[in-house]
Amino acid sequence: MKTRSPIITGYYWGLITLLYLPIAILFLFSINANTTLSFPLRGLTLEWYQKLLESDAVLRSARNSLIVAAGSSSAATVLGVMVALLATRYQFRFKGLLIGLAVLPLIVPLIVMGVALLLLFSAMHIDRSLWTVGVAHAVVALPYTLLIIVARLAGFDANLEEAAMDLGADYPTTLRRIVIPIIAPAMVSAWLTAFTVSFDEFALALFLAGTEPTFPVYLFSQLRFANRLPIMIALAVLLMIGTLTLVFIAERIRRVE
Amino acid sequence: MKRQLFATLFIASLLLAACGGGTATEVPPDQLTGSLTVLDWAGYDAPDFWVDFQTTYPKVTVNFEIGASDADIYTKMKAGDQADIFHPYTGWLQFYVDEGLVEEIDTSKLTNWNKVPDDFKKIGQINGKQYFLPWDWGFTSILYRTDKIPEGVDSWAALMDPKYQGHISMWDDGPGAVTISSYIHGYDETNITSAQLALIKEEWTQQRDSNLFYWAGEPELVEGMANGDVWVAYAWQGAYATLLGQGVPVAYANPKEGRNSWVGVYGIRKGATNMDLALKFLDAKLATATGNNVVNLFYYGHSNQDVMNGITDETLKQAFSIGDPSILSKTNFTPNLTAEQRDDWTAMWAEVKAAP
Amino acid sequence: MLDRRATFWALYLPPLLWLGAFFVIPLALMAAFSTRAESGGDLLRLWTPSLKQYLDLFTSGAYWRLLRLSALMALAIATMATTLAYPIAYFLAFRAGRRAGFYLVLLLVPFWTSYLLRVMALKIMLGSNGVVNSFLTYTGLIGEPLTILLYNRYAVVITLIYVWIPFAALPILAALQRIDLSLFEAAADLGATPFRQFWRVTLPLSLPGVLAAFFMVFIPTVGEYVTPLLVGGSRGFMYGNIIQDFFTKAANWPLGSALSMIMLVSTLVMVAVALRLVDLRKLIE
Repeated sequence: MKTRSPIITGYYWGLITLLYLPIAILFLFSINANTTLSFPLRGLTLEWYQKLLESDAVLRSARNSLIVAAGSSSAATVLGVMVALLATRYQFRFKGLLIGLAVLPLIVPLIVMGVALLLLFSAMHIDRSLWTVGVAHAVVALPYTLLIIVARLAGFDANLEEAAMDLGADYPTTLRRIVIPIIAPAMVSAWLTAFTVSFDEFALALFLAGTEPTFPVYLFSQLRFANRLPIMIALAVLLMIGTLTLVFIAERIRRVE
Repeated sequence: MKRQLFATLFIASLLLAACGGGTATEVPPDQLTGSLTVLDWAGYDAPDFWVDFQTTYPKVTVNFEIGASDADIYTKMKAGDQADIFHPYTGWLQFYVDEGLVEEIDTSKLTNWNKVPDDFKKIGQINGKQYFLPWDWGFTSILYRTDKIPEGVDSWAALMDPKYQGHISMWDDGPGAVTISSYIHGYDETNITSAQLALIKEEWTQQRDSNLFYWAGEPELVEGMANGDVWVAYAWQGAYATLLGQGVPVAYANPKEGRNSWVGVYGIRKGATNMDLALKFLDAKLATATGNNVVNLFYYGHSNQDVMNGITDETLKQAFSIGDPSILSKTNFTPNLTAEQRDDWTAMWAEVKAAP
Repeated sequence: MLDRRATFWALYLPPLLWLGAFFVIPLALMAAFSTRAESGGDLLRLWTPSLKQYLDLFTSGAYWRLLRLSALMALAIATMATTLAYPIAYFLAFRAGRRAGFYLVLLLVPFWTSYLLRVMALKIMLGSNGVVNSFLTYTGLIGEPLTILLYNRYAVVITLIYVWIPFAALPILAALQRIDLSLFEAAADLGATPFRQFWRVTLPLSLPGVLAAFFMVFIPTVGEYVTPLLVGGSRGFMYGNIIQDFFTKAANWPLGSALSMIMLVSTLVMVAVALRLVDLRKLIE
């Protein structure tokens, strides 16, 4: 097995390089003294970052996206765990229907979901807001969280639960102390996926956001005018650097423990 | 912040002085409170584009909802959006009137209305009534790289010319395509027959072989031209001014069939609760500072004639062909579509995109 | 057992109500919309249901080819993405050790940048004046810049595979993580080579994850529209673009809804057929 390590490891790092290459290019353009994205660079400048920090609207949109993503991912993960447990541990009528319904959002074009939800909210006189976006995101992320958690639960030995219950634990406790810890990594995976799906989601947010835009909606709105582009790139790069920093710090902490 | 405060106080005191012994019961502008929601295109929510309203009525809150396109704004209004004010463009105006979505504008309440040329006023009129306030406008023409096409471009047919294969970029819009074809072949844009539409569909299906990509937003187009991939394109003058400003060698054609022009207008939703405030907003939209920002920041025209006459920047003068007084008579304004035309022409374009 | 029943309802009701309210009802609205003969008038007034939209679509046949093509593209993309993602999942499960979490997050972080911006940067890399072409001409490998990298159907496929690989790795990883490591020991004790261990132990046990990954990529890709808009040029459009156009450019929701229903049903049929062949149920239970 040892002989395969360098190839697989190299493969991983190769992909990482490919994934971060566009980011590196974006970084270059965030310090470029020009508003179009073309080489050669016209000179280095930090003015876009400066303008960004002065721009309340941009920062607020980033905050909105974080809130919506965190909320909808949590909802989607909780719902995903519920449906996954139902799928693998219970038998009941219409089981196939529930699972099918949970996965169906994958097939429905986001545009369609957006229009349909818009109609629903209009009919019920619910104002569009970050809440409406969050609800839509949770629905759309559920298939992902469900599939990830089911993949972990499937074939996972139900005997462990039986053993716990034989020892006197009731079912909720069994779930809490046996099942959840075992699927915890999958839950984290699921949450991260849902977060990623939501944070950059645009089609639904455009239809369902009210007066507070999420970051992609705001980005799109600024994209109409070329001279706003570098500020948005600066924000994207900042978010990236911020996230990477957090990730590295978390890793450092874990290593120390 | 301080500067804004001074400006506010200054203007407020001017206004108070001007009001003098006027209506004692009316609330002074800087004390007026209330809120408005505006459904507008992205970017127009920036304070630059309603700065006059903000300085005159600093205590009024203005919220913005973003619409991504005319169809999107229309969708939202039909779905019962509660925005007080919305911003469609010529071509899409008839629908709002037909579906009872827009209020008539009482122009007697607009102090800046006399600065708007009659031609523009007419553009905001449907069935003889002033439903819309013209605000931003511009040209559509052919933008081309003078170094790649030294012989120049003088006809809309250039967008279909196989000579430029792989270097053409057309706007992603069915009605826009129909408009161009009608210019080229001399069709009556308000009365396209199904035979003509079939021909139009055929020629744009062929055009795909020469088209590099369809652009949906100006940055895409600007970038494509700046890096030399695109040599000739359907474009608004904003892209022209941007590229000129970057030193890219481009020219904005005066095709023999004439340029196209479009106008953006503001309308008040039928049933809007605060008509008075909405009218004040529209009035302020016509004011000078706002107008100057539209011209200088977006390179779009403004309906206030004083603003247009006050342009000094050479790039902008070129972009608006200010030196050419006959330009407007050589320009074809976009007529308003009927619902049937909208459905037919957008369906035609979808079939062009889906064709093998 | 009483608490097992109670737990059942606690698990069953929330997703049911949530999906019912925010998914089934909107979908039903869309289905209803597709039976509307024309798009004028009040949005929510009653109309007489009619199959006119479907009739028009079936008789004109303008979009069938595109639907088929989109499905084929999705098939290719899902297969390639899943295959290329497998080694990543394998690396994270068996080679990354305690750093697996870190490496996983590292993989996902680029997705927290705007997709729009990333693809813009990608276009800069692939364009005729781009990084790739500049490098190739500089080193003399090619004389003229390659135009095939951008603005066509291939560019769409490649971009989508590129984008999906990290996501496809996740279900595979989840499945690999639950494989009991002692199974490998046992296999090794029985004389199996590393390759045989992979082939007879790892791969079969990870199959639920692989299938989950495949469907997770395939199904939404059929309706993809953003990537074709960005890198597809004039001939790279997919079925999703047509739907998007009818909603956002034409304000023709009846036709857009009808097109969506057709896509929905087609995808369901495709998935049902595929599941028949694979019998996923057996794998879950």
